Amino acid sequence: MKIVDALGKLCPQPIIDLAHQVKISHSGEIIHLLSDDPATWADLQAWSRMTGHRSRMIEPTRFEIEL
Amino acid sequence: MGSVTAIFTAENHIHPAAEAILSESIAQGWSDLTKLHHPSRRLAQLLSEARTSFATSLRVPSETIHFLGESTLGFHLGINGFPKDGDLFIPSTSRQEVFAAIAGRPAKELPVDINGRWDLPDGQREDLLVLQSVNLETGAIAPNVATFPGRVFVDATADPLSRLPENWSATLWDSTSWQGPRGLGVFALRDHANWKNPLPHIDQRVVPGGVNPALVIASAIALEASTADRRASIINIEEFNSYIRSYLATEIGDVDIASPVNGAAHLLSFSFLYVQAEQIVNGMEQRGFAIDSGSACISANIEASHVLAAMGRLTHGNIRIHLYPSTTRDDVEGLLKNLKDLVLEQRKSL
Repeated sequence: MKIVDALGKLCPQPIIDLAHQVKISHSGEIIHLLSDDPATWADLQAWSRMTGHRSRMIEPTRFEIEL
Repeated sequence: MGSVTAIFTAENHIHPAAEAILSESIAQGWSDLTKLHHPSRRLAQLLSEARTSFATSLRVPSETIHFLGESTLGFHLGINGFPKDGDLFIPSTSRQEVFAAIAGRPAKELPVDINGRWDLPDGQREDLLVLQSVNLETGAIAPNVATFPGRVFVDATADPLSRLPENWSATLWDSTSWQGPRGLGVFALRDHANWKNPLPHIDQRVVPGGVNPALVIASAIALEASTADRRASIINIEEFNSYIRSYLATEIGDVDIASPVNGAAHLLSFSFLYVQAEQIVNGMEQRGFAIDSGSACISANIEASHVLAAMGRLTHGNIRIHLYPSTTRDDVEGLLKNLKDLVLEQRKSL
């Protein structure tokens, strides 16, 4: 499992950081995104719908993405 | 900073026909309507003509029309003037002013799908449903509510041409939505028997008064003129709308178009993935294009659009545009070309 730490960063940076990690990852891998920006969960759900990945909220500031 | 030549924001210049009449109306509108002298009677006559004009353009009986100096006050009148013994239904994409007007009163929020569509709730006679005929951000059109048994307050501030449901009880419009002068709301009240003025009042008037008659007269002219413009340009606007959609998808990509395909064609909201809206808005202004955004990142103080969040749409990189009868093909081409440049520039680091 890979971790993308975007704590303290404002939107859209957490999603951009995630995209960078996705680019160098493979299908089936799990990424945890750490973010305390209030827009992240809404944007992560929209991103998942647009890119075809699955995501879920583990904690309010920790999200799991399955590639 | 360059000068703005193409306006795609929700607010535009006052319609030229209204601008021409505004100073004349100010000259004629100085008198006190409650007095009996000749200038007052003349002004009363002008206002009565304006009211008739509004009634024709907005397709409501003229005796239901009242003028507001502060249009958002209409949300308070339309929601809190009706008895509070039933349920209050509010779609989650309603304007912030609606949530402000209910002031903590328990409401049943109606969830929306990805196209901003909500289902008509099972209601009772004493319930109140607050609906937006057209969503101000996305252009999503409200479903048919003709079978709703309760009262219906219609927020028509996004589009004066939207069709009212047959069972409307009260409706609010905003003069700026038809390029009328700022500072005027039009409030229509049909279900007067069940309505009690929620404002401090000393007589039977529905609104406090104090509206500048010049604004009313100029706004009626603007509404007539812009309605004619809109009808004449509807095909152009629909064409621009589909052209913009296809350009965004094929030429730019990674874009989430929040506006439903069957929505009001003059309103478009879309979000670019991996893009900061503030930089786009500023960059576009430098290139002569005025646009709006519903993204939080536009300012540290503004929350992301609750409309986008409720619909499950991307809240960052959001751009909102408003197509006017005066919008040209060149304006649209310029808008898209410059948006593409700025978006691709930001995405370079990906």
